[in-house]
Amino acid sequence: MNALRRHRALTRIWASAPGWKGWFTSVNHTDLGRMFLTVAVFFFLVGGILAMLIRAQLATPRSAFMGPETYNQVFTMHGTIMMFLFAIPFFEGLAVYLLPKLLGTRDLAFPRLTAYGFWCYVFGGSMMIFALLAGIAPDSGWFMYPPLSSTIGAPGINSDFWLIGITFVEISAISAAVEITVTILRYRAPGMSLAKMPIFAWYALVTAVMILTGFPPLILGSILLELERAFGMPFFQVAQGGDALLWQHLFWMFGHPEVYIIFLPAAGAISTILPVMARTTLMGYGWVVAAAVSLAVLSFGLWVHHMFTTGIPHMGLAFFSAASTLVAVPTAVQIFAWIGTLWRGRPGLHLPMMWLLAFFATFVIGGLTGVMVAVVPFDWQAHDTYFIVAHLHYVLIGGFVFPMLAALYYWMPHFVGRKTYFKLGGVAFWLIVPGFHGTFLLLHWAGLLGMRRRIDSYGPGQGWEIINLIASVSGFVMAIGFALVLIDVIINAVTAIRGSRDPWRAGTLEWAMPTPPAAYNFASLPHVDSRDPLYADRELPVRLARGEGYLGDPARGRRETLTVDIATGAPRTIVVFPGNTALPVLMSAVTGLFFLGMLVKDYWLVPISALGVIGCALAWVWSLGRRAPEGPLDAGRGAVLPVASEVADPPGWWGSLFLLLADGTFLGSLLFGYAFLWTIAPNWPPPAYAEPGPAALALVLAGAALTAVGGRLGALAGVAAALAGTVAVGLAALAVLAQVPDPAAHAYDATVWVLVGYALLHQVVALIMMALVAARRWAGHSAVTRRGAARVARLWSDYAALVALLAAAAVGLPGVLA
Amino acid sequence: MTTLVALAGCEESLSAVHPAGPAAATIATLWWVLLAGATAIFLFVAGLLAWAWRRPPGEVAERPFVIGLGLAFPLTVLAALLAYGLVVGERLLPRGGADVVVVRAEARQWAWSFGYDDAPGRVTEDELHIPAGRPVDVALTSADVVHGFWVPRLAGKLDAVPGHVNVLRLEADAPGRYGGLGSEFNGVGYVGHRFTVIAHDATGWQAFLAGEGE
Amino acid sequence: MSTILRLSLPLTLWLASFSAVYGLHGLLCSSRWTGPDGRWPLIAAALLALALQGALLALIATRRWPEPEPTLHRTSLILAVAAFVGTGWTLMPVAFVSHCL
Repeated sequence: MNALRRHRALTRIWASAPGWKGWFTSVNHTDLGRMFLTVAVFFFLVGGILAMLIRAQLATPRSAFMGPETYNQVFTMHGTIMMFLFAIPFFEGLAVYLLPKLLGTRDLAFPRLTAYGFWCYVFGGSMMIFALLAGIAPDSGWFMYPPLSSTIGAPGINSDFWLIGITFVEISAISAAVEITVTILRYRAPGMSLAKMPIFAWYALVTAVMILTGFPPLILGSILLELERAFGMPFFQVAQGGDALLWQHLFWMFGHPEVYIIFLPAAGAISTILPVMARTTLMGYGWVVAAAVSLAVLSFGLWVHHMFTTGIPHMGLAFFSAASTLVAVPTAVQIFAWIGTLWRGRPGLHLPMMWLLAFFATFVIGGLTGVMVAVVPFDWQAHDTYFIVAHLHYVLIGGFVFPMLAALYYWMPHFVGRKTYFKLGGVAFWLIVPGFHGTFLLLHWAGLLGMRRRIDSYGPGQGWEIINLIASVSGFVMAIGFALVLIDVIINAVTAIRGSRDPWRAGTLEWAMPTPPAAYNFASLPHVDSRDPLYADRELPVRLARGEGYLGDPARGRRETLTVDIATGAPRTIVVFPGNTALPVLMSAVTGLFFLGMLVKDYWLVPISALGVIGCALAWVWSLGRRAPEGPLDAGRGAVLPVASEVADPPGWWGSLFLLLADGTFLGSLLFGYAFLWTIAPNWPPPAYAEPGPAALALVLAGAALTAVGGRLGALAGVAAALAGTVAVGLAALAVLAQVPDPAAHAYDATVWVLVGYALLHQVVALIMMALVAARRWAGHSAVTRRGAARVARLWSDYAALVALLAAAAVGLPGVLA
Repeated sequence: MTTLVALAGCEESLSAVHPAGPAAATIATLWWVLLAGATAIFLFVAGLLAWAWRRPPGEVAERPFVIGLGLAFPLTVLAALLAYGLVVGERLLPRGGADVVVVRAEARQWAWSFGYDDAPGRVTEDELHIPAGRPVDVALTSADVVHGFWVPRLAGKLDAVPGHVNVLRLEADAPGRYGGLGSEFNGVGYVGHRFTVIAHDATGWQAFLAGEGE
Repeated sequence: MSTILRLSLPLTLWLASFSAVYGLHGLLCSSRWTGPDGRWPLIAAALLALALQGALLALIATRRWPEPEPTLHRTSLILAVAAFVGTGWTLMPVAFVSHCL
């Protein structure tokens, strides 16, 4: 079979459906990556227009352009859109597009999940855009502090759009994070050990794990606040045992890691692009990996530095001040490793390098002002002023947008398969960078002169007028620059000058394929022996196209790729991917109905759509099963490997493991919130604690044991045990809830309801999974092909058992202590 | 620096860098130190970066960059800075003392009420009276949402949180009027959520406590 | 997975101990606390955290928890040292800063 024939055969197998149908049924990562990036850019434009409205309002004193009702919506939505609908999805889109190509595989671990996440993002984002157009957008700030954002300060539907819309969008972040994690750990080219991974993959891995542990506190906070708004469960109302500061803790436990979730992918792009621009390799690979990991973990210990003015004792602030200064160290390691790389090489001044220089100039200033506000007394003055506005834009635009523009111009030849020949990009550079500094540099000073954030107008005579005028004019210059970038990209995408395959002479695998990339990425999968496979073997692309790698024979007529051992990269299994399907878009639409029902308070829609989601999920999982085992198959290059669904740890098991990491963080955040209220909230203890008593405790113990044992029994006995366990836990739950019948009475009662609900939900999830395994047995699936599913079910039933015990302990403990 | 100060114009009634009390003065000094250090570091990094295009070709070792510049340099600077910040922070805390005046502030949307331990029952709206030259502890709380209390020329800011009482130490060097701001976003009336601090000399303060001038 | 754990465990332990000491500090300064006043529990907790980090660092440095791949061994070692130094750096306030003011 020659290269062209192989290309045609593989394209038949992998291609998305033609025409408009392809948009909705594609599960291909190249398509979905481009769709993610396009939609994220759309939201960047919307957020940018809002920014221009803000600058128009503030250009002169006593502006009457917008009233505070409108202005508050505008700045709230500017922050919300840029953070949740642009920055994070843009990273997801870039990772979805690039990772399989960098790693030398054919798709992400769970192609349908990519599509599901994408559509949740589109539908959730549409909710926010609708609210904006209808003039009922959130108006309590992107940080949504209650009581202002709760029914006291915001009785309308505005806050509900934020809480429900953003939670819906976060499904896409969590699902992307799960599959990025599993993909990097298991879906690599054979031979690519962890130490030979491209540096971007390390950054993406770290970022994905951060999303899994950083977003759950926000999701929890949003759920609690929505429960307070919808049902009066008083988590944040001080009179009934809640505390406004609980939200601030949960929000910033998410919000600070979020900053690094945005920066780390950019740092990954810099570490990839900069050595190529300097015609050398990255200095200190191991150090840079260590810096990325340190940055990630340290960033979870900084959250209180957003709360230096909330009245926390000085020692508490000192811990976080110390941690906030420390986090500058891994950042410095990376900055100086990059500068060292430039010294070592022969750097040119191509457009991507220009953007990297803009990054250095901007991000270093943002980092230095960041160290300033880490010093507690200085923050007492700077907090909530334009100093912070300026600082965070230096960090986010300097540390994310500029590197992403470098990435855009670096990978554009790959995205479109054409030579970048039009010179508009250079003009745009010279508008955006001076425009940016003109906008934000002097705003630091305005903040020190007393200009608060979020004011909708200001009077003359404070020395702020000239600064604001300069900022507004520069802001519009910057906006024109971004418009030019957009025009440049469109022109480059449609002009017909074919480019060379590897315009930068880079070493990573994404350049080992024809561009624009084919649906299957690699005609055969490479065997990797070095960190820069293309530097080691310039002929690699041709040899892969000739089918000299793994899985070069499309004879089995289905979408196949390989998984490898995590550490060594030795090939382990052959994965068979599902084909094109509309199930993801359908399931996300039904998920959308679930959120819509809560938003408009038509609660009958909620259980119906929940059942619909379960139905879709069952159809989703069912279609993967096989009755008879295939046994080991030929994978090319002499490798004979089993199919992934017939081993003990299929991809779904790894996906479940990391989803449970997020789920466990959610539970941990809930327990933290409970302990926080118990310790700090003024109106505690509640009138009465629930005291489950020996009978209920025995029921929980029995139920948890049955659930856990059920996961270890055969299919039919297992589901029976799990059913009995669920009934036992359910009875105990009823007994407890009968003692605290009104969740609106006190924050304690409300917390008990949430804990009990969480435990019951997991019992039901475990039960459904065991039922699925039993149904497969009943449908005649063999023990071998059932094994993976049974192991997944066991993981979830173990977790459900653990949750039941923890919830019982948490509910009963305060009563015992008192 | 001089141009920046000139930009500030004639009015500095809300400026944190034109302090009128010991707490604000200490923080203003801290700021100028931070600015000088940050400028020096920025120029140093920019110089290193520019040198990459100028230096003659040759081997570059990893250790000076990663360990010298990446680890040793920031750790030294940050340790000094952290110590400085914590010492300053300790000095600004509301410690007890015979001379301390206690006032109470309650924020609501969009006004401030102030009460005085030395004149029980006395409440002023949107005007806080204090004696000049004496440390004042402001005990802050809120009647509805989270607010912030900030008198930029006298001290840093502190939030007023429903159900909690936070204490901020401030002091005015000289009698006069000082602009105060609600500094935590609190809804449509945020921009107008302001108050004035009136610092009296000793006789003026006694007169205020005695209820004169109402 | 062992490699991933070796890379992530020291700093995760830092995060856990850092949060625990912060939580303990919150409890000791709260109105719920009726026990004796003083910073000794905080100092004890910080020393315990430092000791655990030291033990973990020793395990990795002496290759009793071995990483066969040289680059990753060095990276694990850097991270274990970072976690040890970070624990001392961030918990230092227990000894010097006034604890409930």
